[in-house]
Amino acid sequence: MIKKWRVILLLLFLILSFIAINPQFNKEGVAVRHIAQNSTAAFAGMQSPSSQLSATAYERIIKIDNKKISSLNDYHEALASSSSNLSIKIETDKNEYALLKSEDLGITVSEIAGSNLKKGLELQGGSRVLLKPQDAISEQQRDDLLAVMEQRLNTYGLSDIRIRKADDLFGNKYVSVEVAGASKQEVKDLIASQGKFEARIGEEVVFEGGEKDVTFVCRNDGSCSGIRQCTEQGSGYLCTFAFQISLSENAAKRHAQITDKFDINISEEGREYLDKPLDLYLDDIFVESLQISADLKGVEATNIEISGPGIGNTQEEATQQAIQQMNKLQTILLTGSLPVKLDVIKLDSISPVLGRAFLSNAIIVTLFALLAVAIIIFLKYRKLKISIPILITMLSEIIITLGFAAFIKWNLDLASIAGIIAAVGTGVNDQIVIVDEILSGEQFYRWKEKIKKAFFVIITAYATLVAAMLPLFKAGAGLLTGFALVTIVGVSIGVFVTRPAFAAIIEEVMEE
Amino acid sequence: MQRLENLFMNHYKKIIIIPILLLVFSLVVFVIQAQKGSILTKDISLQGGTSVTITSEQGVNIDELQESLENSFPNSDILVRELADVTTGKKIGILIEATNIKNEELQPFLEKHFETKFTSDSYSVEEIGASLSASFFKELRLAMIFSFLFMSIVVFITFRKIVPSLTVILTALTDILVTLAIVSIMHLRISTAGIAAFLLLIGYSIDTDILLTTKVLKRTESSLFARIYSSMKTGLTMTITAIAAVTVGLFSNSVVLQQIFTIILIGLIVDVISTYLGNAPALIWYCKKKNIQ
Repeated sequence: MIKKWRVILLLLFLILSFIAINPQFNKEGVAVRHIAQNSTAAFAGMQSPSSQLSATAYERIIKIDNKKISSLNDYHEALASSSSNLSIKIETDKNEYALLKSEDLGITVSEIAGSNLKKGLELQGGSRVLLKPQDAISEQQRDDLLAVMEQRLNTYGLSDIRIRKADDLFGNKYVSVEVAGASKQEVKDLIASQGKFEARIGEEVVFEGGEKDVTFVCRNDGSCSGIRQCTEQGSGYLCTFAFQISLSENAAKRHAQITDKFDINISEEGREYLDKPLDLYLDDIFVESLQISADLKGVEATNIEISGPGIGNTQEEATQQAIQQMNKLQTILLTGSLPVKLDVIKLDSISPVLGRAFLSNAIIVTLFALLAVAIIIFLKYRKLKISIPILITMLSEIIITLGFAAFIKWNLDLASIAGIIAAVGTGVNDQIVIVDEILSGEQFYRWKEKIKKAFFVIITAYATLVAAMLPLFKAGAGLLTGFALVTIVGVSIGVFVTRPAFAAIIEEVMEE
Repeated sequence: MQRLENLFMNHYKKIIIIPILLLVFSLVVFVIQAQKGSILTKDISLQGGTSVTITSEQGVNIDELQESLENSFPNSDILVRELADVTTGKKIGILIEATNIKNEELQPFLEKHFETKFTSDSYSVEEIGASLSASFFKELRLAMIFSFLFMSIVVFITFRKIVPSLTVILTALTDILVTLAIVSIMHLRISTAGIAAFLLLIGYSIDTDILLTTKVLKRTESSLFARIYSSMKTGLTMTITAIAAVTVGLFSNSVVLQQIFTIILIGLIVDVISTYLGNAPALIWYCKKKNIQ
């Protein structure tokens, strides 16, 4: 009876793992990863998926203007060729939306995930920075920091962000930020710069970034934000972006008080300006100077237009740069500055091409490693009724470990794959101990005792391995946590779930 | 089996000399290497610097690139390697590891060298500051000591006898030190993952010792040598399967995985010697003294 239960427990774990991994056989459509705030898509009622959502649960776009969407290509083609010039109809697996047509709908999409398994940076491509606060900070300060960072990246429109705390054995506090599919420059600009925005007239600060002073920032709306003009300059191009913001009552009052003190000048074109401009500073670096129209003198202005340049060798490049600059500035104005200054102490950026090469190779290597073990096992025991249960146990261990990784939304990196292989290796070792114990000719002991003896060795070996891996959890600012975690989880599943089942199966098989 | 029994039961004291010689050899290696500089050749993850992978299926003149990099960055230790997928034979690109340089300096140089602008599709970079990597190294050294300590405690709790427990721990120590010496001679550039592999080795290598010691001390059903022999058969099957799996792992195209598997492979081979020519004869010695049959 107990024997049966062990096998049932194994089956139960396998079923749960399949549910957690949730492999997808129908990959039609594209997944909605992010909806920009105040975008056309957001107005139509589309929502960004919560970061808690598992990869296979994202809303899927299935049809655009009644055209079926099977891939990313279809999606982009459908948008480009949309015949109606007023609205677009988007059908998803959950709803139907009618969007006003605009240059940027504000939707970020990706291919449908094949399963809930999350690929880490090295296998997927993307950027990761490890940041260290310049001054010692409290836990509370770090929580605040994480919150602003999260908001900033979300506002900027990056999806697939993973911000987490990391500590080391010496008690240093770090923050690690991983973003799939973003360039290292973007991440560095958005996260590592404190983003202290100040608008000054002379020496006096009129307003700062963040909701205290800035109550509204116009984004993704052509009527109050966008690229205003592009001109040829020397060998390159210069494009100017502009967007409107609203100031809080206090900031507007400050604006009135400060501007009141200045005189009015008349420019060459005959327009009247204050004799001091509004200077914009980002992290104490001068960004842009804006002339203040004379009619704003002493006025509690709540609406202000912010502008700035983008330059490039071609008009396309200059426009892109201006859009990027605008997006960054809008983001910072909305989210305010980070509570502390940060240093980038480690920066990784892996190309998706390289990631794919690593992944396919890792899968092949794991399969061949399994094959090599299978061959050795068969050569040694020369009995299928022993070799096959060992193989099934190995595969179950891998599936359950992966299921666990999917369940806790762990990002599988290369070190985790090494951990899986290590755990499977230990698993096979234990099964060899069990088989040899049972095969040993000693009629002296009964089955139960033989298995019990095998398990003594297994449990001791397990305890030592776990003991040896424990210090890795924290060492190296969490960069090796994956290796330690997967190895420990893998061997634990082996010892407590698959091995007892294996012993039961092998006992059954051998008794026949 | 009879000859093996004679050899082990009568010459156990002489057999132990082999692993002891290995241990002495590794200590000598450490002294020599320490005088030359350092025992471990550290990669950029442990000493700071930048590692760049340029994905390209075209061939690149590696020697020329290496020379031109060395001329431009005289203070940096530079290594240029070609990356290929062993399973498909396809070129993946080139890997450049350079100490003491930031990507801000390296990328413009490489873009000039290859007369191209890299995109995030073709250019992967890992950059780590010198102080962080130094702290990583310190931490991992500490982790290794803790790891060894925790393992020793588990062994003592399990066997509750000083001499057999110490023998198991000494065997594990031999595995680690001899492997470290071989890695040192090979000038393998050790990364954080490499040190993680050493930790794994601590847990891995003592499986066979635990099996051996348990069979010898906690069983009485057959003769002493029969018990050693049976645990040897089981233990060797275990190690050979592990070696087979790890050898396949060497065909990984990731430098990280290659290094982890190389270190475990060396460790497993050393473990065969230290367990069956060190731990086993030591246990025979102990049993004879204590009159355990």
